[in-house]
Amino acid sequence: MPDIHFYYLAKETISNLKMIFNSSDVPFLRLSKFLDIESVDYKPNLVDDENIGYFRRKKGPAILEDFWKSTEFIDFLCNVTDLNPKFSSANHLSYSAGDYSLLHMEESAPKRLAVVYDFTKKWRLEWGGNDLYFSPGKEHLICNRDYGSLMIVKLEKGDLSCTRYVSLKSKDSARIDFVTYDLD
Amino acid sequence: MRNTEKIPTLIKNPFPHVVVKNFLDDQTLDLVTYALAGLEYEFDDSDLFNYLSFGLTDVDHPVINILRDDLGDKAWRDEVAKRFGVKKLSKIDMSAYVYGLGSFLLPHDDQVEDRIIAYSLHLTDIEIAEKMGGALHMYEADDAGKSKLVKSIIPEYNSLIMFEVSDKSWHQVGEVLEDIQRLTVTGWYHA
Repeated sequence: MPDIHFYYLAKETISNLKMIFNSSDVPFLRLSKFLDIESVDYKPNLVDDENIGYFRRKKGPAILEDFWKSTEFIDFLCNVTDLNPKFSSANHLSYSAGDYSLLHMEESAPKRLAVVYDFTKKWRLEWGGNDLYFSPGKEHLICNRDYGSLMIVKLEKGDLSCTRYVSLKSKDSARIDFVTYDLD
Repeated sequence: MRNTEKIPTLIKNPFPHVVVKNFLDDQTLDLVTYALAGLEYEFDDSDLFNYLSFGLTDVDHPVINILRDDLGDKAWRDEVAKRFGVKKLSKIDMSAYVYGLGSFLLPHDDQVEDRIIAYSLHLTDIEIAEKMGGALHMYEADDAGKSKLVKSIIPEYNSLIMFEVSDKSWHQVGEVLEDIQRLTVTGWYHA
């Protein structure tokens, strides 16, 4: 299993992250270079995953599934969010040219903690494929592709997220581990 | 003024649709194109779409009023209803849309409230080639939501595309891939 970058485990850092997370309009953290993942296998078995009008992408088991379920990571989540997340699901999602997901695919999702780890390399902003988080009455949260970044977002029931359309001009795929944790 | 009072035979697959070519006469076409060029469009960007738009339903402008009549007066609404075999159509709404480089509209079925027939009058006065993008793509979808592209209609100047709104009317506007302005007046005939 990969290790969390030692910087994110320092007491002072965790204290700061907790303060940042709990002071945001939509509670979130974006942590760059979160893991050492040099030894991870980047070729998961993916299958077409489409529901027209909701999403079109490829899907497979999360690359770091064991890590997302690990006590080490869940303890880290508890420490930086002050929440009590319980692992719910983990998938690897790949969005190539023409792929998309739409916000309303999550209309029935309960209160949750969404965690997105970015495996996307060599991305250009104009290809789209950014993650979008929507909470009624609040500013949209837009998260551009950034290899090695971890996004942690608290989403209430009624809050939505998606990965936006990837341009037909894209030469690569936006690849993420998308993990959710139930919240009490 | 309209060039025609008749709508050609419907094409049934993947869902009932028709293209009326050469819809407006030249004088109206020039006036409409000029009027639309003078609008201050809003940039709309969401998970579903990216384009410029301007609502025309309630705009009181001599040329837009003529266009609204050409697309939605009683005689034409009756012809649309007759051709599609639907009940009486009471009114239309309409907006102008400009799709530039990178603009898109993702797959959706248009089922909202009392929309019966969707229409789009194409007003891009250049010949759009397939490689430029911006085609209207029509899909079939199975019960699981897996889609199959069945037909692509490349916008043709002064052509009016109409289709019946249903749970089968999956369509999208393909991403515009070159620096063109794909201009349409689009809306719905309502019950």
